[in-house]
Amino acid sequence: MSTIMIVEDDPKINQLLQNQLEKYGYHTVNVEHFDRVMEVFKEIRPDLVLLDVNLPKFDGFYWCRQMRQESNCPILFISARDSKMDQVMALENGADDYITKPFDYDVVMAKIRSQLRRAYGLYAPQEGERTVEVAGLKLFLERMELMMHESKVELSKKEALLLEALMNQYPRVVSRERLLEKLWDEQFVDENTLNVYITRVRGKLKDMGLEGAVETVRGSGYRLRAVWEDGQ
Amino acid sequence: MKLFLRDQWAFAAFFLVQMILLLLIFTLDGYWNESLMIYAVFLSLFFAGAFMVVRYLTHRAIYQRLSNPVESLEELTQTHGNAALSRALDETFLEHYRLYKEQLHAYENKQRDYTTFIQQWVHQMKTPISVIHLLLQNEDDPVAESVREEVDRIKRGLETVLYIARLDRFEQDFIVEPVSLQSLAQNVLAENKRLFIRNQVYPELKVDGQWRVESDEKWLSFVLNQLLTNAVRYSAGKSNKVTVRAYERGSSVALEVQDYGIGIPQQDIRRVFQPYFTGENGRKYPESTGMGLYLVKEICGRLNHGVELESEVGEGTIVRIVMSAVVPTLQERKKAES
Repeated sequence: MSTIMIVEDDPKINQLLQNQLEKYGYHTVNVEHFDRVMEVFKEIRPDLVLLDVNLPKFDGFYWCRQMRQESNCPILFISARDSKMDQVMALENGADDYITKPFDYDVVMAKIRSQLRRAYGLYAPQEGERTVEVAGLKLFLERMELMMHESKVELSKKEALLLEALMNQYPRVVSRERLLEKLWDEQFVDENTLNVYITRVRGKLKDMGLEGAVETVRGSGYRLRAVWEDGQ
Repeated sequence: MKLFLRDQWAFAAFFLVQMILLLLIFTLDGYWNESLMIYAVFLSLFFAGAFMVVRYLTHRAIYQRLSNPVESLEELTQTHGNAALSRALDETFLEHYRLYKEQLHAYENKQRDYTTFIQQWVHQMKTPISVIHLLLQNEDDPVAESVREEVDRIKRGLETVLYIARLDRFEQDFIVEPVSLQSLAQNVLAENKRLFIRNQVYPELKVDGQWRVESDEKWLSFVLNQLLTNAVRYSAGKSNKVTVRAYERGSSVALEVQDYGIGIPQQDIRRVFQPYFTGENGRKYPESTGMGLYLVKEICGRLNHGVELESEVGEGTIVRIVMSAVVPTLQERKKAES
């Protein structure tokens, strides 16, 4: 399990980041006294650091330089400052990447994963595979596979994203807008394409004997129904 | 010279009148010696002329100063010779210059403090927005969606404020480098995905990977952001497509955002780049601030890009940014074509 150190002086952002990271199986450590950043750093030897720029006493650039003398672990800046100069400064002080506030969890998680992968190898043993589970139906996000008892299907990236959204929200409804947003990474996705993906996901679920698991809720969106449990 | 003559005209006239007066007094008194009088007149005129010439030479700098337009404030600090009048003038000018500079500095300081304050304030506001943004991310009910929409609006507003404040110090905050138009457009489109989805407008991207321009990525992104926001806003409900395309134009590359929305009335087109101008569409869409296109024009001006706008009511609008392409790309292209 990777240990991530969060150096952020806003308690709420700190807490929210911790919750999110722990949900995805990372171990987090935060800093309470901002004059003792290095002590904490040396003590826990984190695998990755999330570092704010505006901190009491010294700024993040200073701490980044200090950390660099001790370790080569990935350091990611999180900051509200978004000028080019700040980003250049961050990189020159030894950071690996720069995320500007306000950010999406998706972006932070993706950057953390890519940094960890780069620093510690593709399938680092300490990184547990991300899975989402709803009543026995298991989605493996790295392998993009869906599993139910013994049956298993392979998914495309978009199908996996779609199912992740539905399973995360289970048993609530996910709006079409939200699904479109999730699917839109480099290439945008329009309504028709979403319909196509929904049909494909339904098809794959049907192959596993789970017909009707994705339910259309008129006027609002889609919902996952644990049809396989109803029968039992 | 002209000014000198105009200035000294009264003196010359006075001198001549006085000379004639003297001659008259002598003549009327009965004293008449033609050659002596001519000699006296000649001598007087000679000395008066010499006086004028010396006077002109010593004060030439002043007359030149006074008859030529002032081009810069620094001209006030020049000296104008050693005559009493020149020195007095120099001192006065210098004093004015100093006073003016002082006021200018005071004003500049105030302006800088204000800009700094605005920037800091915007950054402070980003923390609560980040918190709200994070809190909402895993929520998917209509209320959360609605709050998310408002947060997006605040974010957009703050962004604009920040960029306006930054415009003052543009020179310190830009780095020109080759920018790939394709990845730039993809990033900006992805950043705005919620805006597109919410308005049920879908982008069509026609930008090849080969197009690279000399520009600053951040400022250019902001420009594209503004154009897309406008395009979506004025398309909503009328059309569901916005096209972003890039193509060659002479030795330049044009990046174009085209919408098929309501368009801009003919009489407003001339003025859309003026600050705070919202025109007829501004009245229909209360969110218009009139700053978007003004900023686009300003920023493109500083980045050395051209901006063009075509619009037809009911048909849509095209805004085009014309940039110089990174040279190797164009040459390679030419070679490949021939």
